[in-house]
Amino acid sequence: MIDWSLIAKIAGGGFGVTILVLVILCLVIWLIGFVIQRRSKAKK
Amino acid sequence: MFGLYEMAFGGLTWGNILMLVIGGGLIYLGVAKKMEPVLLVPIGLGVIMVNIPMSGLMIYAPVTEPGAVPMPLMVQGGIGALGEAMGSGKIGLLNVLYQFGISNELIPLLIFLGVGAMSDFSPAMSRPISFLFGATAQLGVFIVFLIAYVTGLFTVSQAACVGIIGGSDGPPTVYLTAALAPELLGPITLVAYSYMALVPILQPPVIRALIPKKQRQIYMKPQTREVSHLEKVIFPIAVFVVSALFVPKAAPLIGMLMFGNLLYVTGVTDRLAASAGGVFVDVLTFLLGICVGALMPAIVFLNIHTLAIIGLAVVAFAFGTAGGIWAARIANLFLKEKINPIIGAAGVSAVPMAARVAQVEGQKANPRNFLLMHALGPNMAGAIATSVVAGIFMSIVP
Repeated sequence: MIDWSLIAKIAGGGFGVTILVLVILCLVIWLIGFVIQRRSKAKK
Repeated sequence: MFGLYEMAFGGLTWGNILMLVIGGGLIYLGVAKKMEPVLLVPIGLGVIMVNIPMSGLMIYAPVTEPGAVPMPLMVQGGIGALGEAMGSGKIGLLNVLYQFGISNELIPLLIFLGVGAMSDFSPAMSRPISFLFGATAQLGVFIVFLIAYVTGLFTVSQAACVGIIGGSDGPPTVYLTAALAPELLGPITLVAYSYMALVPILQPPVIRALIPKKQRQIYMKPQTREVSHLEKVIFPIAVFVVSALFVPKAAPLIGMLMFGNLLYVTGVTDRLAASAGGVFVDVLTFLLGICVGALMPAIVFLNIHTLAIIGLAVVAFAFGTAGGIWAARIANLFLKEKINPIIGAAGVSAVPMAARVAQVEGQKANPRNFLLMHALGPNMAGAIATSVVAGIFMSIVP
């Protein structure tokens, strides 16, 4: 017997959370790069 | 032999003979065809070792329930009991390696430390959108998880481990499978590493089918932004903190990967990084290889599950490649400076093979293109994404 709610939770939810975490990582890394570049430009 | 002792010939089955041929074939592929030789050669030898009856290198526990998969014998009761069991021949050398290296997930984690110490994440840092391609390239993992479970061939835990092959990253695959479905560790690891070597054959047809020639010709400047030392040092710490907060079960994998990377980038721990990425990781790799090979006696390997894993892995790679490409094409709708969607295909990890495929395909479409550095971004992000997926599976799968 296939547990469809579990499948939806794992496949849908799992993929969704993966995207969410990587989007957040993308933003965090972009922000770090942005701040550091701004700081080094200001120093120059 | 002359009534003095028992030879192994009597115990040989047709299955053992077939596995000896398969073991020899794996060594041939590693040596002659240079396909992942660092892993396929030890795996091939492990397969041969475990399929010689009475060799005693890896002893399997007797099966108590009908239909259950035999598993290596493990000893309870500390180092004294272990020494006694080994001395009396109850367990073999590879049982010890399996119990203390694989079943407790130690070796894959330490290998990931070595991988981190050899990895340069600058391409992903210089173009953070790479993380999106790394994430969407995990599509293959979840699609194959669905197929594997719905066909009824695999349990939920086993389906998750079959799916993770699509992430094309060895240590997370071994880590997850050792935790959720150790009975499939042999075939899954073998298929995962073999298919990583086959990325140059598997990916190009998908790339050509999903990206019109005009888009494959999009020119990207070869240089990526130069990443400062400070960014490189903050990166592993930031990635670990964010990932571990959102997916705590991914913390061991990402923690080791990022720890290794921190040693590599600080500029003051070069010796540690060289050690972690040198002999240390080599020793662990051949121990992993020989143990994985020893998990493939004929009785465990020759069944419908192995065939299904071989087939499903192709689907996982195809959808993973497609996921990265689709994300890159969607991103192009919003980006002022267009990117070549081929680099999205490198999100399946398989570092650096998938990035090289992107480079080759990009140059075929437009000889001026040099996509390697651009493709390494999604490639490295894919390694992080697969670890996140492994953590998510460990958190959700009952």
